[in-house]
Amino acid sequence: MSDDRLTEVVNAARLATLGTLVAGVAHELNTPLGAINSNHDVLRRALGRLQNILADDVVDETELAEVRRIVRALDDIMVVNDLAVDRLNQLVSSLRSFGRPDRAERDFVDIHEGIESAIAILGHELKGRIEVVRDYGDLPVIECFPNELNQVFMNLLVNASQAIADRGTITVRTRGAENGIAVEIEDDGNGIAPENLDRIFEPGFTTRGSRIGMGMGLAIARQIVDRHTGRITVRSTPGVGTAFTVWLPVRLG
Amino acid sequence: MPENRSATVMLVDDEPMVATALRSFLELETAWRILTFSNPLRALDALRSHEVDVLVTDFMMPGLDGVMFLRQAREIQPLASRVLLTGYADKTNAIRAINEAGLYYYLQKPWDNEQLKMVIRNGIERTTLFRELDRRVAALDGAHRELHELRRKLIRTFL
Repeated sequence: MSDDRLTEVVNAARLATLGTLVAGVAHELNTPLGAINSNHDVLRRALGRLQNILADDVVDETELAEVRRIVRALDDIMVVNDLAVDRLNQLVSSLRSFGRPDRAERDFVDIHEGIESAIAILGHELKGRIEVVRDYGDLPVIECFPNELNQVFMNLLVNASQAIADRGTITVRTRGAENGIAVEIEDDGNGIAPENLDRIFEPGFTTRGSRIGMGMGLAIARQIVDRHTGRITVRSTPGVGTAFTVWLPVRLG
Repeated sequence: MPENRSATVMLVDDEPMVATALRSFLELETAWRILTFSNPLRALDALRSHEVDVLVTDFMMPGLDGVMFLRQAREIQPLASRVLLTGYADKTNAIRAINEAGLYYYLQKPWDNEQLKMVIRNGIERTTLFRELDRRVAALDGAHRELHELRRKLIRTFL
């Protein structure tokens, strides 16, 4: 595949991934937005009550108790709104660091940033079901195509989460290794049958039905890793789990 | 309509910001006693020791999914009205909740405070009526047993 063609396929796959993730992200936004929405309504009601109490310029004991009650409610609201606004900011910055149209195509980056943005965007898929364990090493910044690498991490994380039928753990390990870095994404899910292990990087190979675009995740991951003159390997035991390891050089050739 | 002063409402959401926002609103607007939980297992424990009129819960929570939670809650307090408040506009799970957990109402996030208050108020009313009905039926049962006993005594004494 030519470089141009690869970029095209990778961009299409990124769009497809983001498309399926939009619903999840919308849900993630829904929680803080719902809280702010409700609090805004409470603020309006509280203001109305305070204005009523102050309307006659006399505040009696009963009204004073009511004012105290309102102030307590407003206190709670401030705390929740702080949390909600923080959450919205984090989500937006994850989305931005995942997509990054403003950043040079080729750049020196801390790989953890991309991994974290992929995990954050996947929050909806993982929440309550899958625990993500981070075992991060001290890594140098590496020269890479960050947007494409984020796509690799996203695809591997999506695969890992889909391999876990109910509850489980995804472990992300990063290490410095042989003039490069290694990222391992391991799940304790279904595992891959030995007869399929050689075929999983083939374009279109999937065990999950035949929708268009299915079975491209690992093929694209390998293309991107190849473009970085890196390596992607897999080990898997059915019923125990799967680990993908991506090795990447510190400098591109 | 005067609020039922003794009513207890339990809110369960693994997102404390949601549970707290709901509590702020309900405490400001009503005299109901509000219990909030972010852990469904703790909420089940509390259900064993507190009489609850309405239970409002999210769908997916770490430790226990919403439908499982509502099913267990129904076993502990069958008369409490169960409301699902969720951002998952998922028909399959809504149907599951209605069929498997005897859901009273299904609300979607983001919610409308006024509607939420109305749903909870109606749920309290419903639970109160059910409890009253239970009490009346129990009283009738008692009276029936008493009559039976009197009849037995009468027969033994006079026949």
